[in-house]
This record gives sequence, structure tokens and C-alpha cells, in this order.
Amino acid sequence: MRRLRFTAILLVLWVAFGFGVNRFLESRKSALITHPNASVPTAVTPAFTLPGTVYLSQAGHLYRFSAGRFTDMGLTPNAGSWVQPALATPGRLLVVARAAEFSDVYLVDARSGAIIQKLTSNATPKPAHVELNAWSFWPHLAADGSTVIFGYDGPKTGLTYEVHLAVWSGPLTGKLESKQWTDPTQYTGGDVNPVPLAGGGVIYARYALNAQSQIVSRVATVAKPGAPPVYLTAEAADCGEPAVSPDGTQLAVICTSDTQTARMELIPLVNGVPGVPRVLVDNCLCASPAWSPDGVSLLYLAPADATGHFQLWWLNKATALTPALPKQVTTNLDFDATSAPVWAP
Amino acid sequence: MIGIALGFVLSGALGAALYFSPAIAAAFQDFGHTIRHQALASPSASAAPTLLPAVAPGNAFTVLLLGSDNDAKFSGNEVLTQSMILARVNPATKQVTMLSIPRDLYVPLSSGGTNKIDQAYLHGGVDTAIATVEHDFGVHVDHYAWIGLLGLIHLIDAVGGVDVVAGNPVLDDFYPKDLGGNSPFDIERVAVLPGPQHMSGMEALQYVRSRHDDLRSDFGRSVRQQQVLLALRAKAKLLGVADIPDIAAAMTSQFTTDMSVTQVGELLPIAGNVSLSNVKQVVLLAPYTSGQFIGAQDVLEPNWNLILPLVHKYFPPA
Repeated sequence: MRRLRFTAILLVLWVAFGFGVNRFLESRKSALITHPNASVPTAVTPAFTLPGTVYLSQAGHLYRFSAGRFTDMGLTPNAGSWVQPALATPGRLLVVARAAEFSDVYLVDARSGAIIQKLTSNATPKPAHVELNAWSFWPHLAADGSTVIFGYDGPKTGLTYEVHLAVWSGPLTGKLESKQWTDPTQYTGGDVNPVPLAGGGVIYARYALNAQSQIVSRVATVAKPGAPPVYLTAEAADCGEPAVSPDGTQLAVICTSDTQTARMELIPLVNGVPGVPRVLVDNCLCASPAWSPDGVSLLYLAPADATGHFQLWWLNKATALTPALPKQVTTNLDFDATSAPVWAP
Repeated sequence: MIGIALGFVLSGALGAALYFSPAIAAAFQDFGHTIRHQALASPSASAAPTLLPAVAPGNAFTVLLLGSDNDAKFSGNEVLTQSMILARVNPATKQVTMLSIPRDLYVPLSSGGTNKIDQAYLHGGVDTAIATVEHDFGVHVDHYAWIGLLGLIHLIDAVGGVDVVAGNPVLDDFYPKDLGGNSPFDIERVAVLPGPQHMSGMEALQYVRSRHDDLRSDFGRSVRQQQVLLALRAKAKLLGVADIPDIAAAMTSQFTTDMSVTQVGELLPIAGNVSLSNVKQVVLLAPYTSGQFIGAQDVLEPNWNLILPLVHKYFPPA
């Protein structure tokens, strides 16, 4: 009887040991494998609170970050992924709904998330010809309060492989695709990230081929539709994603010098003329800078660890000679790095 | 007493074997394939294949990375190699050189005749692709790794996605909708916006595969493929032996290599220790190549007088 009991105990110990070895190996998996997915913003508590309200996009949902917590704005997923919010008329946002093969601009209530108006119709009525769909991205309301500046790859003919984004504008209350501002370099992807200037022009990132056969980006301004671009950054710097401070005197850009690392630079603007660039954050994967309403600090998105998910970062005193060190606002979220935050008072 | 200890050893081994079972299955199916080298002096298909000794651990080696559009348009292994990247890895100096070989490069194939280099794999699988590269470029290939479309997607998803600085907007109105669509000949629209971003496997595939709207044609795609490889390298530094089962399971039947699972495991820290500044990226733009129309097809004519000195600067001549 004792022998049987001993054997039974030994068997249990052997099985437990084998199971333990298996679980030990399981526990040695890297975080990349065990935590591939990020948390939902509404389920986390950020490190600290920012004044005002910040709108951000994650996994196709638009979130409002206010008083230290995130709220899902509840925009219907039927229209696609909700990205690239921008402040419109008081209490309203311009937002892009990106579907699989087209995207449209919507006017949305900033508080309730209710759709007020669909401003574009980029889905082709000919489903068999997907190439006739169009993209609209980066909508912004111009200083006149009635014109929308945005990126658009239409109108489409479907007769060529060539497709590019250009800067367009139109009335908030009428046909958005009314005026083409820029003439992009063909087969480069085109002109992107347009931001209206207080004086009536537009600042944007323009892609072109350089002498080394690399496609690089330069931040440029254009005074009116059809006017030639005036470059603000050097070709070698390969800068894009411009963000202009509320008073129009500072320009934050993301530069890569055609490498796989980035840096955030600050360029003073005096009557539209660029000063000497200053690196704010170096050797990062930083993206999508956005100014605070008072023009003192910047928000941007960048990974905080090797999972690579983009978090919200805050850089206070961005225009000071010695800016504050960047502070990580969120952890384990996964914001869309091509959708810049927007910071409202 | 020995029996009791042996029981613990066996139960532990069983626990480990169960854990590594996907890797063990992959080791038989996908890993450890043999490269049958063909003699350099005899580029004809009848040349007797030879097995060369393995690279000593720690020594520099050359690996040929192959990627194929193995969608439903193709049957079995009868596919082209849309991507060919010759990489030289020096573990001692932690330096890597990546040379993208244009798929349209018009070269003598080791299987006979002259054609685009992406046809080599179609006409004889990986051995012919390797032999063609060895013969034409005068280099020795120590290892190879082939990956299919789904393999790349699953690999990237298995490591939680990759971080890439998209160098320019990649728009394509005629991107092949050959994964999950009704017909492998369907098309779809893709738009990868520029700038730093986190890409899923599918997004990364779109980024490296799109070719219709790039001024640099296939060269632009080669640059993007190298960018995603660099992004995977960044992830490699965090991976360990315990992660191999998940990765092997993700790529089943969409990946083959001559390397063993152990060798791949040993490569992970090497890849992770290579800094971006130590990676040399080479693309054979003009004047190394020039566009021609030969045999009713657009091809790239190689300028061997320029290419070979460049290649042998980074890859030791065979």
C-alpha cells in the first residue's frame, strides 16, 4: 500500500515537474509575443492630466481626452475608421472616416460625437471600378472660418497608374473639392499634411525626387491656388508633418533625413521666413506634433517601448531655449501615428 | 534513485518538447533545407551540385532573402521571386550590408537562357535562384530564407507589428487583392500615409509590395522592403528562444530556409545588436542598370562593369 502511494505521489510530481517546465518556458516569452495588443484608452488612467481637451484616434475610434480620462466619442464604425480630427466652428470637429478604399470628410459635434454633415462623397458609384474611389485626408478649417483645406487624390479617371494627393480647398457649406492649390510631383505620392495659415496661405509637405533618386519631403508654403511653392526646409532634412503654432511664429516639423529614425524640429517663422531649425526631440520615432492652444507646449506621438505602439507625449515650454524634457502621458495604448492629436481649450 | 531522477528528466523533456512542438514541426518542414550549390565555373544546369561546409559560428556570412507573390494565381512552388535581397552579416563587427537585386534584372539563369532574375526560382526553385545569383554576381551564398505573402504577414503580426518611417505616401489604385478576395486577379486601393507609424502585417505587406505609383519603379519597392527588414531587426533584439514556437507556428508552410531552428535562434541577438548606422543599404539604380525592352518585356540591363566592383566591395568574391 505504501509502495502504491509512493508511486502515485511520484507520478504526480513528475507530471507537475513536466508541466512546470512547460509553463516556465511559456513565462520566458518576450513582451512582443505575450502583449501584442494595446489597451483601450477608456480602460486606462493616463500619467497626468492636460488642460483643455485633446482628440486622438486609436484603432478607428475617436477619443476625447479631458479631465484626465478618455471617452470614446461613439462615432459609428459603419463609415470606416475615424481619424485626423481638426477643430472646426465652435463645438464642431472635421474628421476623416477612412473606409477600405476611400475616405470622406465629416463635420461632427465635438461633444456628442453626432455626425452633423458628410462633406465629401468619395465612393465611386461604379463598384467594379475601385480605382475611381478617392481619398480625402487632413481637413482643416481656414482662418476665414468657412473654407476647408484638405488633401485629395481626385478627380479620378482610372486610366493611369499614377495617383497622388494634392492640396485642395472648398467651402464648408458647399462642394469641398472646388480649388486645387498645388501641382504635385507625379509618382511620389504627392502633397500632404496641408495646414492653413492665418494670412490665407497653406503650409504643407511636398514630395519630390532628389539627385540621389530618393523621394524626400520638404515643408513648403503656397500663397494661393496655383502659386509656386516656397520651401521652408532643406531637401536633405526630409521634413514633413508641419504644425504651426497658434500665433503663427513657430513651426514644428518631423524630419528623417531619409532614414528610419526621426527627430522633431522647431523652426521660428518671421513673416513666413524660416529661421534656424532647432532639434526638440532627437533620435525618436516621433510623429504628428500638435500645439497647445496657448502655443507653449507640444503634443506628439511616439513609441515608449519596443512593442512599438505609439503613445501620447507632452513637451512643455517647447519654444524656450531649454525646453522641458518630454513626458509620456499614456502607457500601453496604440494611437494612430498618422492621425495628429488636436488640442482644444 | 536514478529511476526517480530519470523520471524528472523525462517529464521535463516532455514538457519542453510539448512547448517547442511547433518549432520541432517547423524544423522538419520549413527549416534545415539543403542548398545544393552548382560549380561556379559551370553555369549550365547539368553541373554537379555540391554541398559546402557550414559557416563557422561567429564568422561573417551571406544570406539570400527571397520573397514571392505566392497567391492563388500560382500553383505550388511555381512562383517568381518578387524580392531578392543579398545580405552580408558580420557578427564580429555588427555590420550588415543589404543589396536589393531588381526582379527585372536581365541575366543568364543557371537553369539556362537569359531572362529576368525573378524567373530563376520559377525554373528550379531555390537552388536555381541561389546558383543564378552566385554565378552572375560572383559571390558565395551561405544561407537562404524564402518567405511567402502570408508568411510575411504572420511573421510581422507574431512580433506585434513593426515600426516603420514611411518615406513617402504609397498610393496604389491597382493593388492586387489576391489574399482573401474572390479572385486572385481582383484589385483594391491602398494608401499608406507618410511618416513614422506602427504597421500590422497586412499594412507592412502593402507598403513593401505596392509598385504602381512610385517614380523609382521597382527600386522604390526595394527601398521599402529594406526598411521593413530593418524594422524587423529592431524587434529581433527582444526575441528569445522561448518565442521561436510562436514565430515558427505563424509561418508554417510560408517559409523555408537551410538554417536550423537553433541557427535562427542564434541569429536573433546578432540582428538585434546591429545598429542602424551599421547597416549599408545598396540599390542598383542607374548607372548600374538601365531600362530596356527585350523579348517583348521591360527589363533592366545590368552594367556588370559597375555592378561587380560594387558588389565585391561588400560581398567577398567566390
